[in-house]
Formats: sequence, structure tokens, C-alpha cells
Amino acid sequence: MKITIWGNELPAWTSAAALAESGNHVKIVTGLDQAGNKNEIAFKISNEPGLQHCIDEAIRSGRLQSVTAEDGLTPTTHIISLNPDEYEIAAQLAKDLAVKHPSNLLIINQSHFGVGSTDKLQELLYEPYNQALAYLPDMLAEGSALNNFKNPETIIVGCSNDWALLNIKALMRPFSQSLKQWMLMTPKEAEFTKFANTGMLALRLSYINELANLADHLEVDIEVIREGMISDPRIGPHYLHPGCGFGGLHFQQYIEGLSELMEVNRNSKLLNTVLAENEKQKEQPFRKLWRHYECDLKDKTVTIWGLSFKPGTASIDNAPSLKVIETLLAQGCKIQVHDPEAGSNIAQHFNNHERIDVVDCCYQALQNSDGLLLLTEWSEYWSPEYDEMLSKMRHPLIIDGRNIFDKEILQSLGFTYYGVGR
Amino acid sequence: MSPKETTAWVDLQSHAYYMSQSHISTLFSESPDRFAQFGFTQDNLLLDLSKQRITDETLNLLIELAKERNLPNWIESLFKGDHINDSEDRPALHTALRTPKGTTLEVDGVEIIEEVHQNLERMEAIVDKIHSGQWRGFTGHSINTVVNIGVGGSDLGPLMACKALAEYQPEEAQNLSVHFVSSMDGSQLADLLSHLNPARTLFVISSKSFTTIDTLANANTAKEWLKQAGNTASEEVLVSRHFIGVSASPDKALSWGIPKSNQLAFWDWTGGRYSMWSTIGLPIALKLGMKGFREVLAGAHNMDTHFKETPLKQNLPVLIAMVGIWNINFLNINAHAILPYDGRLNHLPAYLEQLEMESNGKSVTRKGKATDYNTCPILWGEVGTNAQHAFYQLLHQGTESVMCDFIVAAKRYHDTDNSELKHQHQLNLANCLAQSRILALGDTVIKGAENAPAYKRYKGNQPCTTLLLDELTPHTFGQIIAMYEHKVFVQSVIWDINPFDQWGVELGKKVATNLLDALSPNALIEDFDSSTQGLLQHISMRNK
Repeated sequence: MKITIWGNELPAWTSAAALAESGNHVKIVTGLDQAGNKNEIAFKISNEPGLQHCIDEAIRSGRLQSVTAEDGLTPTTHIISLNPDEYEIAAQLAKDLAVKHPSNLLIINQSHFGVGSTDKLQELLYEPYNQALAYLPDMLAEGSALNNFKNPETIIVGCSNDWALLNIKALMRPFSQSLKQWMLMTPKEAEFTKFANTGMLALRLSYINELANLADHLEVDIEVIREGMISDPRIGPHYLHPGCGFGGLHFQQYIEGLSELMEVNRNSKLLNTVLAENEKQKEQPFRKLWRHYECDLKDKTVTIWGLSFKPGTASIDNAPSLKVIETLLAQGCKIQVHDPEAGSNIAQHFNNHERIDVVDCCYQALQNSDGLLLLTEWSEYWSPEYDEMLSKMRHPLIIDGRNIFDKEILQSLGFTYYGVGR
Repeated sequence: MSPKETTAWVDLQSHAYYMSQSHISTLFSESPDRFAQFGFTQDNLLLDLSKQRITDETLNLLIELAKERNLPNWIESLFKGDHINDSEDRPALHTALRTPKGTTLEVDGVEIIEEVHQNLERMEAIVDKIHSGQWRGFTGHSINTVVNIGVGGSDLGPLMACKALAEYQPEEAQNLSVHFVSSMDGSQLADLLSHLNPARTLFVISSKSFTTIDTLANANTAKEWLKQAGNTASEEVLVSRHFIGVSASPDKALSWGIPKSNQLAFWDWTGGRYSMWSTIGLPIALKLGMKGFREVLAGAHNMDTHFKETPLKQNLPVLIAMVGIWNINFLNINAHAILPYDGRLNHLPAYLEQLEMESNGKSVTRKGKATDYNTCPILWGEVGTNAQHAFYQLLHQGTESVMCDFIVAAKRYHDTDNSELKHQHQLNLANCLAQSRILALGDTVIKGAENAPAYKRYKGNQPCTTLLLDELTPHTFGQIIAMYEHKVFVQSVIWDINPFDQWGVELGKKVATNLLDALSPNALIEDFDSSTQGLLQHISMRNK
């Protein structure tokens, strides 16, 4: 199949790489924003494990090429994968495509412009001649996007046109090995479902964090409480790990979209509160350090392990590390940071700030340190060399933003330990 | 020489004998273009004195009086820092607080403009830290609420400015709420504390002397509230994270517990009621951002320059002051209503009550003699349209002569698309113009009024000034406040009094201290008068 993908973010590149790999001829148009506005946090392919390699392979095979917008119009199958604030661009594109292909035009919308927007786009096309639009929400998690795309268990598709559905099923057939179900619904319902899922996950995270903060005050261990909770099959274990806040470009963007929708239509502050509390939660490790040192961190040397917003990615979009570093800088600290992938992104984000030292070895980051803040649970941090840590640190203080360490062991070795809710 | 001995004063007295028979409506019919004659402009302000009971001759004689009282020399002394606050032997240099960087002014051997700007920069650093969310409380959360604790000059100016200019709040200040607490009885504070979050609240303790009992009582209550909330944090930590001191007495602030790093200074040459331009303006800067605060200063400086450089006859503060002198000393009017037709300026009357009555509410000359002429009148006021439903009855039909200041902005609500809101401004303007018209001209403004029964008649002849701002901005706000400051100064020069001290408020503090002891159980109260004894006994019974 010949396909054009419109977009420059994770879902666009992931779809492009995977579809080219399965034999399609894919064109990708990345420079669509005519005003020249660049999204402030532009997606970096290199942040996503395996993606760069897959793209390189596709280009080498000749099945993936980056083209101009004009060239991109020629195929009859299109995937629109733009940012939530680029609806107007999508609308213009739909109009242009409708003129170019008077019949048998398939547009798959993969962008989250809001509930009802796919239907609005469809109105720009002439459905009786099979100019059809469908909504295929991306279920990609940053860090495992390719795998999510290639091995889905469920595919939700929002589509009201039989011809379009047939074509989408054909397009997705190579990825249907482990597929348990196709869920067919209207585009509006599919858009709502995507929003609803994202909101639910955010609520769970926010709830467990709130409980963890309460546990701090009541001096109980949130881990015990959490195990009790997940033993209830109605609750289950997913998205119930307390920590120092969630980040990521898309997750946050979708929740913001849903939060706005709820506020405008329902005057509901529920998700707004979730977002605000999450921002506060990101600074929670800082606050523990602050109280430990009686509200005076001037000239302290602070170590951070883990800078990306989650393990397995170099992305620092909305990462807790950004807020923590800003705050530590404002308090006059010297900061020594380590991350398996995201170090250079942080250095760049803070313009190679003179008080931020990005180092390659996590133990080196502990030299003369007055405290370690663990912000991202990369697997290499789970079982560190405690003796080496003790020998390097000026004050053996560990603030564990992801509850990955064993509190009793650390305390017995002489560390002062603070977790999230324990 | 007493002002009464000047030639101009004597001439004004005979002129007043003639003028006191006249009616403002007659003056208008005799000279229909009075507005051109008595309308004065400066930058974005228009001062209309045409509804005053004055003629050309009145103004000429008043300017003569100002000259005979050596006003130009006094203005020079004010600006250059002479010790014109003689009872306290110091200058009054509020004008220096708004002088732009790069100018020099040496006072008593110290270069003060540089110091002023150093203090503004320290203030800016604090404002930036709070606005960026990096001023942290004892839990590590960022501060999102500021409570200014101060009274008099440490309260009224910032309170007024924050209300007047709230719409100019920049984005970085949107998440910060600013509150004001002044009353000694703790009622404002208790109300606030019941819904504030101690972890995110910062108190600004503003007191020139840092001994003001009203302020310290509120500050102690705030400290106690924080101690109860921050159970594990030490008092030292709580105070260092949650209190900023703004004072001219740094050592006293330190001994209360505020470290020097949390202090902003000003100088003893800044009078309390002239202090909102100094670091006392911290709440204004927190509300408007430093940029907004600097615009207020620039507006005031613009008025300073006008006051210093413009001939007396076109000089707004001089004109408004001398017309006041005319009303008070020659037409025997002893009441002055401040009537802003603008809800944003609802604190202006209280501000001017202090500025004028604490400055010039005196009856002893600079040489220590009793004055044999009236000085500051009684000032009061209210937002005009609200006052129309309260005390305007007295203005229109009472027995008191009252001079009135109408203050209103020509332009408002240009950014809104709510046509009803725009209409409200038209309504407000119409009322402002209507009321000053009736107060000055009486019911001559409508035909056939003379046939109405007596109780429906309006005698008019209340002198009215209209101050029309192009629009209310930080700049015009600075201008009008500085204009009133200089007006007060000009009147003090005519009356030969020191407007920069306030000895009349001291005795009450002393006597209150004695009475505090008398309120304790079993205190001896025989030395008090029978009224006080009776009240003390009654209070004691009710508290048993």
C-alpha cells in the first residue's frame, strides 16, 4: 500500500517505521506547520529505544522517504498524526486531499484534537464517493512505542464507513498476531475512550500519590497499604506505584486536553486538580531534602540519579527532574546528575549551567554529596554498591522518589532514608 | 511672619468679602468659557477648577500669597533634602524614592539615589523569587499567599494601590494572592488565618520603627499560628521562611527574629504616610510585578518634575492646594469630600484622610506658636456612586459647606466586548458629571426649579474640583498620588506648619500602655477618671 503520514512526533514516526517494515511504501511529511512554529518540546527520535534503527532500515530499503507536502498528497491513504493544537492544519489538509482524490480516499486520524473532531473533519469530505475518515487512537507508551504498535492486544477503531474499515483492517493485518479484539465504535466514541483511559490512569497515579503523602504524615508504610489494595481484584496492580509524579509529552498533553474539556463542559476541576497535584508531587523529593536540612540548602551538593521522565527513554518532557533541578538551583545548590540516556538532554535544557555537573558514572555523581535524590527507576539503580556509595557521600542521605530501595537494609548500613509514603 | 500678615492674605480677605456673596452659577453665566480659563492639564491629567468659587483675580491673589510665603524656595528645599521636618530634624525625601537611576542627590554627606536603587534591586530579587515559585516555606512548598501586616502608612498606600491597579497584574503574579491586615484587635487576621495554608503563606511585617504595637501584635499572632502548624520546625526556621521585615529599624526587626537576609530597608527620612514608594511598596510590586511598580514610581516622578519646574500658575499641585486655602481660610469651608467615581479607587478616601489630616491636622506653627487661622479641614469620602445613596443628601441640602473632589477616568473597559460593562462606565461618567454640576450650580441646571417646594430645591454653590484621568494606569495612579502629596506640602507652607511629623498620635500609645496594666485582674485603678474607672469595672465584671 502507498501511504503518506503527516506529522513529526512519536506516533507519526512509529507508524511510519512499522508500516514501512511490513512492506508498505511510506512517505512522511514533517514540515507542515506553515507558520513555522515549532512545538516547544519537539520530539526526538533518538529518545525512543529502537526507533532510530528501524527508521534507518526503512529508509535504506527505499520504503520510507521524507517528502514535501505537495509530494505527500499523491497516495490515496493518509495518516494524520499531528499535535493536539494543530486541528486547523489537519482541516486544510483534508480539504486539499478531497480536491486531489475525488473518490476512494482514506484518511486515518491518529491525532487527539478532542472529542468530535474526527466527525468535523469528515464533514469536509464527500462520503458517498468513499472519501472516508476514521479515528485510530494511538495506544503507544513512550519507551515501548514500536512494540505497542506492532503487537497490540486490542485495536480500537472509530469508523462509520465499511469501505474504510476494510482498508484499515488490511493495513493492520501484519500486526494482528497477538490481537485479541477489534473494537469498532464511532469516531466520537473512540476519541472519548482514548481520553477516558488516559484520565483514568492519571487518577490512579494521583490517588496513590495522595495516599502516600498521607502515609508520610501518619507514619505508615504505603507499600504495605498498596499490596493490600492490589490484592482486591476490583482494583488490580496497574498504575498504582507511588512516586514523584508522572511526566512525558503526550500523557500530560492528553490529560490537559481532557481536563479542559471537563472544565468547559462540566465545570469539573477533577483532572485539573490531578494535574496541579502532580506538579507538586514532582517536587516531593526536594521537599524531603529541604526539611532534612532545615530549610537551608545553600552550597549543598546534591546528586540526582535518573533524569528522564521514565526508564527506557532519553526524553525529559515534563520530567520531575526539571522541576527539582530548577528548585535546587534557586536554592543555591551544586548538582551532580546521572542518567543512562538523558544526561545530554538535561545539560542542553539548562544551557550547560555551571552548577550542574552531568557525569557518566552514577557513583562519580555521589562524590562529596550531601544527598542522593532518585527520580527515575532505571534498572541499574535498583541494586547499587552500597559501600561505594557510603565512601563517596559526605552525608549518606537517600531520598527515593520511586520506592525502589529496601528501607531496612539502607538504614542498617547507616543511610538516612526517605521514600514516598514510607 | 504669620501668613495673615502678608499683603496677599489681606487682599484675599477683602476679595473674599465680595466673592462670598457670589454663586458659582452666576460666575458661569458671567463668564461662559470658564472651563478654558480654569481647566489645566499635565500629561494624562486634566484638572477642572471652573466649578470653584473663583475668578482670575482670586487665582492671581492666591499665587501672590504662595510667593509671599516663599513657596518656590520651600519646593527647592523639599527636593534637595533640607531638614524641613524640623521637629524631628530630618529631610522629607519621598521624591528621592522615585528619582530615576543615574541622578545624584547627596543628603547629609550620603549619596542617596544610588542607595534607593540598591534597595529597589534587593526588593526585585525577592519579588522574582516569590513570582518564580522559588520562595519556599517550611515544608518546601512554594509561597502562594502574602499577608502584609502593617498599619497607617505601612498599610493604606499599598492596599490602595493593589486594589486600584489589580487589572495590571502580570502573568507571573496571577497565582499569588496578596492580603492586608492592620487592625490591632486581630479581627482581620483571625478571619484570614482560618482559611490560609501556613505552609504557603508569607508575612510581610511593615513597620518603620518596628515598635508599632498594632503591627507587632498581629505579627506575634501570625508567628504563633505558624508554630502550631509547623510542629517540628524550629521558630528560627519558621520565621526565616515565612517572614519578611520592611523597616527603617533593622536591629529591632532582627531582635523580633527576622534575619537581615529577609529584611528590606528604608530610611528615617521617609515619612510613614509617604512611604509606599519605598520598600513598603513590596506588596504593590508583588501584585504588579517590578515593572508595574516602577511605572507607578515613574508616574510620581513625572508629577515631581512638573511640581518642581512648572510656573506656579500652571502647577497642578499648587493650584489645587491654593484653591483649598481659598475655600478653607477665606470662604470658611471646613469639610472636604473625596469622591472617586471608580470602584478601583475605593481606598483613596482613607489614604487621603491620613495623608492630609495626619500631615496638616495641626494648630502650632513651625515656630511653636498657635495658629490663628484654620488648617486642614475634615476629609472623608466614598466611591461617588455609592456615596450618592449615603451622604450626598447632606451635600445637596444640608447646612454645611463642603468642597468636593471628583476623580474619574475618561476611558475604561476598552478591552472587553461586554457592551453592558462599557455602558456601566458611561452611566458612571454621567453621574459624576451630573453631581458636580448640581452641587456647584444648584437647581439652576433645570428649567423652572424655582417653582418647586422648598424641600425639593438645591441651593448648589458647593465648590467642586474634577480630576479627569485619561485612564487609570500605574502611571496616572503615581501621578495623582504625588499630586496630592505636593498639594499637602504647599498648604503646609502657607500655614507655616510642619507636615512631616505627627506628635498628636503619641500620647494615646502611652496611655494605652497604662490601661493595659489596668485591665489585668486586681489592678489599682484609683488614678483614672471616674468614666474610665467605671468602664474598667464593667469590663472586669463581664469577663469574670
